[in-house]
Amino acid sequence: MTVMDGPEITGYVERVRAALADLPPEVRNELTEDLAEHLAEVAAEGEGSLVERLGEPEAYAEELRTAAGAGVPVAAPNLDRRLAATMVGLRTRLRAADRRAGPLLGHATASDFLRPLRPAWWLFRGYLVAMLITVMTTSSPGLLPRLGGSSLAGLLLLTVCVAGSLWLGRRTPTLSPWRRRAVGLSTGLLALFALVGFVDLDQRRDGDGYYYEPSSAETPYIRDVFVYDGQGRLVPGARLFDQDGNPIRLGDPYCTDGTGVQVEQEKPVLPTYPYCPSAAPFRFEAVPAAPAPTGPTPVPTGPTVPTEAPTGAPAPTPAPTAPTAPVPTPPAAPSVPASPGAGVAPAPPVPDGVAPPVPAPTSPS
Amino acid sequence: VDTTQLLKGVLDLAVLAVLRDEDGYGYDILRRLRVAGLEEVGDASVYGTLRRLFSAGLLTTYVVPSESGPHRKYYSLNAAGRDQLARSGKLWRSFATTMDGLLDDRGMAA
Repeated sequence: MTVMDGPEITGYVERVRAALADLPPEVRNELTEDLAEHLAEVAAEGEGSLVERLGEPEAYAEELRTAAGAGVPVAAPNLDRRLAATMVGLRTRLRAADRRAGPLLGHATASDFLRPLRPAWWLFRGYLVAMLITVMTTSSPGLLPRLGGSSLAGLLLLTVCVAGSLWLGRRTPTLSPWRRRAVGLSTGLLALFALVGFVDLDQRRDGDGYYYEPSSAETPYIRDVFVYDGQGRLVPGARLFDQDGNPIRLGDPYCTDGTGVQVEQEKPVLPTYPYCPSAAPFRFEAVPAAPAPTGPTPVPTGPTVPTEAPTGAPAPTPAPTAPTAPVPTPPAAPSVPASPGAGVAPAPPVPDGVAPPVPAPTSPS
Repeated sequence: VDTTQLLKGVLDLAVLAVLRDEDGYGYDILRRLRVAGLEEVGDASVYGTLRRLFSAGLLTTYVVPSESGPHRKYYSLNAAGRDQLARSGKLWRSFATTMDGLLDDRGMAA
């Protein structure tokens, strides 16, 4: 005589009780309160599993129900039974879908295709657990696990979680039904967490830019500042202050000159902009005081021109000019800021200080 | 009509009968019934019947510890059970006699 180990009997009793779920609780308890002991006796009397010797728990429950005179399932099915019926129908439909989807994936069933992928899911699950711990312990989590702000601890956490997930994945089929259900439930919650996390991440990336708004000197997106005056001329050595008179520090005073060599400016107490005049995005050549015959043509019109120009279409060029006329040139030539008196410089495309000066036609024709 | 159908009506009586002379635990009772010839009887039927007879107050139970296996819950007839056995037994005999007569009249030897 051998004593069966607990889980088999417990699982069997659970399933019998589930099949009797429609009975009044006191009747059900009366019927099954010492079922486990009875099954232990049965198990001790012979060989083979309980299911082999007694049949499926559901069939056992039906026989028990009849023998105990507890009546057949009530005519009007209660919620439990309806739920059970729904589950059975759902499972049947899932199996059918499984078989139908199989050939599309080159397998008999879709689950045949998915089964070998399970270890990959276990790996990912470990990562998700690590991320869950990160999110719970870190104020601004990223994509990599971190523990107490340390990436190294985060790496360790990731390793532990992945190893644990793999171990659990291999062991899950041997767990008792209750534990298996618990694993399934927590896996579902984890998947939900992943979904929420990724949607959140995606929104932060595409969102209103709140998180990446350039607002301070630390922001890496502004490297230099170019000030143009009302005539569209680059202002060298400009200084910026805020409303309190504090200098505004933007960018970093490093400069790559034309040869690609980094030129380090001394870090001034009071920064002057631009750091790299040669890197100005727009450049307007100083035109000789005596304009060429075609001179007046480039930008005779006023404010409306530059606002249209950014579209890059050659059309907005207002005056019918010769193709050689546009003055903006690539920023290769060294900037020659016009002296204050050189009011003849003909190229001020921006009459007001708001919009940046824009080279009107970009087509090289 | 198969044996299972017939059993439903008389399993109570059968269980009471095998407990008349000797107490027994669930699996033991099942074995006695099978040895006696009721081979189709199922464990769940016997267990369910025992539960029902017990809650009807016809049986008493006691647990016998075991060193080698699980504890066993023994069922025994109490006075009400013996009374029930006597009445049901009488009913069965008259019923069986009626059935025998019916079958004999039609020339079907038992």
